[in-house]
Amino acid sequence: MVRRIEKAAVIGSGIMGGGIAALCASAGIPTLLLDIVPFDLKPEEKDNKDARNRIVKAGLEGAKKAKPGLFMDKKTDPDLISIGNLEDDFDKLKDVDIIFEVVVENLKIKQSLFERVEKVMKPTCIIASNTSGLPLAKMAEGRSAQFKKNFVILHFFNPVRYMKLLELVAGPDTDPEICKFVEQWGEKVLGKGIVWAKDTPNFIGNRIGVYFIAEAFRLLKDADVTIPEIDAMFGPTFGLPKTALFGLADLVGLDTIGHLSENSYQLLVNDEQRDVYQFPQFVKDMIAKKMLGNKTKDQGGFYKSEVDLATWKKIKKVIDVKTGEHKEFDKKAVVPECAKKAKEAKTLAEKQKAILFSDDKASQFAWKLISRAAIYTANRIPEISDTIVGIDNAMKWGYAWEAGPFEMWDNIGLEESVKKMEADGLTIPESIKTMLKKGNKTFYKIEGGKKYYYDLIKQEYKPIIFSENCLFLEVFKADKKNVVMSNDSCSLIDIGDGVFDLEFHSKMNAINKNMVDFMTEAAMYVYKNGVGMVIGNQAPGIPGAFSAGGDLSYMLGLARSGKFSEIDQFIRNVHAGIMGIRYAPFPIVAAPYGMTLGGGCEVCLACDKIVAHAELYMGLVEIGAGLVPGGCGMINLWRKFMDSVPGPAKLTDFGGYFIPAFMNVAQAKVSMSAAEARANGFLGPKDRIVFNKDYIIGEAKKEVLKMLDEGYVPPRKKKIPVMGREAIGMVHAELLNMRGGGYITPHMETIAKRIAFCMAGGLVNCGTLVDEEYLMTLEREAFVDLWKTENTQKMAEHIMNTGKPLMI
Amino acid sequence: MREAYIVTSVRTPGCRRSKGAFANTRPEDLLVTALNGLMERSKGVPKDAVEDIMVGCAFPEAEQGLNIGRIAAQMAKFPDATCGATVNRFCASGLEAIALQAMRIKAGWCDVAIGAGLESMSIVPMGGNMPRPHPEWAMENPDVYISMGMTAENVAKRYNITREMQDEFGFNSQMKAAAAQEKGLYTEIVPTPAVSYVYKDGKYEKVIKMQDFDDGVRKDTTLEGLKKLKPAFASTGSVTAGNSSQTTDGAAATLLMSEEAVKKYGLKPIAKVVGYTVAGCRADEMGVGPAYAIPKLLKMFGLKPTDIGLYEINEAFASQAIYSAQQIGLADKKYWAADSDSRIINVNGGAIALGHPLGCTGAKLCAQLMTMMQKKGAKYGVESMCIGGGMGAAALFELCE
Repeated sequence: MVRRIEKAAVIGSGIMGGGIAALCASAGIPTLLLDIVPFDLKPEEKDNKDARNRIVKAGLEGAKKAKPGLFMDKKTDPDLISIGNLEDDFDKLKDVDIIFEVVVENLKIKQSLFERVEKVMKPTCIIASNTSGLPLAKMAEGRSAQFKKNFVILHFFNPVRYMKLLELVAGPDTDPEICKFVEQWGEKVLGKGIVWAKDTPNFIGNRIGVYFIAEAFRLLKDADVTIPEIDAMFGPTFGLPKTALFGLADLVGLDTIGHLSENSYQLLVNDEQRDVYQFPQFVKDMIAKKMLGNKTKDQGGFYKSEVDLATWKKIKKVIDVKTGEHKEFDKKAVVPECAKKAKEAKTLAEKQKAILFSDDKASQFAWKLISRAAIYTANRIPEISDTIVGIDNAMKWGYAWEAGPFEMWDNIGLEESVKKMEADGLTIPESIKTMLKKGNKTFYKIEGGKKYYYDLIKQEYKPIIFSENCLFLEVFKADKKNVVMSNDSCSLIDIGDGVFDLEFHSKMNAINKNMVDFMTEAAMYVYKNGVGMVIGNQAPGIPGAFSAGGDLSYMLGLARSGKFSEIDQFIRNVHAGIMGIRYAPFPIVAAPYGMTLGGGCEVCLACDKIVAHAELYMGLVEIGAGLVPGGCGMINLWRKFMDSVPGPAKLTDFGGYFIPAFMNVAQAKVSMSAAEARANGFLGPKDRIVFNKDYIIGEAKKEVLKMLDEGYVPPRKKKIPVMGREAIGMVHAELLNMRGGGYITPHMETIAKRIAFCMAGGLVNCGTLVDEEYLMTLEREAFVDLWKTENTQKMAEHIMNTGKPLMI
Repeated sequence: MREAYIVTSVRTPGCRRSKGAFANTRPEDLLVTALNGLMERSKGVPKDAVEDIMVGCAFPEAEQGLNIGRIAAQMAKFPDATCGATVNRFCASGLEAIALQAMRIKAGWCDVAIGAGLESMSIVPMGGNMPRPHPEWAMENPDVYISMGMTAENVAKRYNITREMQDEFGFNSQMKAAAAQEKGLYTEIVPTPAVSYVYKDGKYEKVIKMQDFDDGVRKDTTLEGLKKLKPAFASTGSVTAGNSSQTTDGAAATLLMSEEAVKKYGLKPIAKVVGYTVAGCRADEMGVGPAYAIPKLLKMFGLKPTDIGLYEINEAFASQAIYSAQQIGLADKKYWAADSDSRIINVNGGAIALGHPLGCTGAKLCAQLMTMMQKKGAKYGVESMCIGGGMGAAALFELCE
């Protein structure tokens, strides 16, 4: 039997249920969303379908309005969701291929729901519970053998669209064929990172995550450090998200963490650290006082934001553990010495070492917390996972850690840190002791182009088996001969079969002068030695940055010293590089993901094809830096618009194409997904959207090879029709209204007019076919002219320093 | 010179753009209904008596293009001998059409003619389908292309018409219209077929409903509600959707005759068209047009503002309507407030409640004015409006004894 998911159902339309339904719909799967009939129906509403569907309707509305968005294409994805209630529409479940159960975490309710499901489901239907802690065995109790065969736990993380982790738990009776299928389906179609967990309380992510938080609570009680000091260490400086530790607790809600922790305490009677799951009194008091975090804004959580009514300034307050009152604090003043050191450090390993091995009090606290957490985590093998890889992935994908606990341990040095732990009198897990005794000092290693992990059970290294669709540059790069060219900002990597990957690795992958020069050299190398090229990188983070734009500092420096002819020459080089990509005699495919802005977007627009991750935030945002796009972005975007007009169609209204193309650039529109990038015209019909971020380089490589198979010839140069004068008249007339209405600032208006001039092809007749070189000249002139203005220099400097556009 | 008499004046309801009853009704069909309604109410006048039909239209293109005056005449089954023309003076177009026909009659060139107006803002967008400002002129001085909302903001700012004043005026327009609707005062309305295409059982079905009321009137409008609306055209402005006219679909038509023709068909005319004038002003505050046009008109005929029994001053925006009333010397609220018995301006509400179907408005306000002049026995009636690009138009009507 070939298993397919043609239709899905989600039962329960809360935050998680709505999120799962939205993800399925975004992946193109028609989805039935069901919830209960309200208990408080008035007698006259008993037969009213709308009233009976009130709860599910509200759930779907919530998913539609969620911020950040849960649907990838807000306009069309919701159409794939049909709604109903568990009384009138239950029979519809007979048509679906998978049912996600996302109802309240109550065993009895789940059991009776499954009893009903069993009666209507088709025999092949997969039933997946999204429970975050209830035992699978109990949920399946009393069900038929067929049901048990088809029953798994698929545990998503919130927000479903953005958190990559999907924990899979199978029961003893689950059909292995189904396990294999959901693993592949979850990875390929939903784009998730799959981690197999065991049927243990809170599975992997929440087991470790909650321990980490609970241990921090416990240590904080007697420590001489403040909450802001701890968070200054355990944010991005340690490879953790910005929310850090206590901010995360506020975000998730102390009640939710409390429930998870209580669940662990109740069920983990043999856990060596069971007491940690009993929160200290000050946290219990907070929960009792409904100080739950972001969801209780008036009471606050660990943090509280207030507005000073006299000045309208935000005041950030933090709780005083001793008094339970919130006190004002200055974020900048509370950064401990070790965190300052870490900030200066270049690699994550150096940062983590700085945090853990400095002399200040805060560092000592950090060490206490991390050493205990590391030991606790190691002791969880094989209880919650057989491999360190599963645990590391769960923390990276579900909690957005840059490095998992074992990777961190490698970063700080296993041997040295174990010595320090022993000196502290901590009990080292036997498995670690054995590992070290055998002379194995790292959890991971790369050898001969393969990545290995250390199996703590078998006490040996084993290769990490990736899905064959995943290519990791890190693995290729481990073999030095694969790195055929490299500088401080980018590398050219042999990824096999004659295909080379151009990898950016500057800060935020911003495109700088070195990269521009490198691109041309790399293309020459591939021309001589290869068959095709992928432009892709794998920077960490959610969503991460393919390239956050162009590096402004170089040009600002030139502008400040009046070297405009050098800027002109630089743009000539950029144009040569970009058009070199476009007309190279071999296929070049871009693999963007996450932030793909400005120059990064322009590189993609020049390629033969784009294979984008579904989370693509793409746009030409140069106006925010006081500029027009300088890497042929306007030309290639307009070309994409014009290429979409079928040959026999005579275009009478160029405005219908010009206005959205112009607005993309003049308003610095950034897509909130790849689907939106397609809707905005940045992705064309040939470009692909891939749900799994780890696939995109592999898929891009496949596209290169496919193009070669089909007989690749580069695109021929052809003239581009432009709207010319008519566009310029239109834009100037409309800008009058925007200026009058206070919607555009004077310098922005100047830039918008230049954008219009470039994209319209100047004051030529509407429909004139112009050369690319002519448009490149317009773009270059606009770019250099703007740099000559004081206002553009100010705007560029401002965005470099603050990350925000200066509105002048 | 001869006199030109208005014999009959009718209109379709005004319905909200895109959301209202006529969103899917072709503009020609609206016009045909108005023309046929007009002829039905003009008992004893055969269609072949009508020499010419002039239709005001602000965006005479696409579905409203190709000289809709002639097309509609044919569709309404007027004989080949009945001619047709399209007239454009933006928001004065309908009045311009009536004035042109009146002049032809006065000059002795014609005896029976129709002046009409039409705009389907749902089907042909304001600004047209392909706005193409002249590039060099737009760079030099784009004011002539300025959006109407911005002109309203300019009027409000330059002449201190506050948000409160505008909201109050808008509220009163709604209250006057709601009351008039309830009392059935809009007797000039011709019930009009409204078309929609409904998806049913796998097919699209054409459904026709008769529409006999203006669907933009909001009787539940409150001042508090209006105060909460965001500025529509400027980030810190005062002009909102609640104190601006509505964009609307509609048509209207007026039958004009010479004295000889009136006698020939044995009709009792409603009013004489006394005079019509236009006046120019700055494009970026085009709303002040009536403040120039009305005094110019009254001076022409030696009348004082208070000699006029009824005014229809188009409420493109509350800001310009208030300012225009102030400038002609009728600043006091009593002249327009819903609860004032001595009100003479827009007595049954204006475009803020009833809608402003651009090219139709001049013909539509004429129909409303004819109804109320007869009901109130007002000797003189003035109709006026502001015009995009910076103009005002005004016409004077005198009730027949």
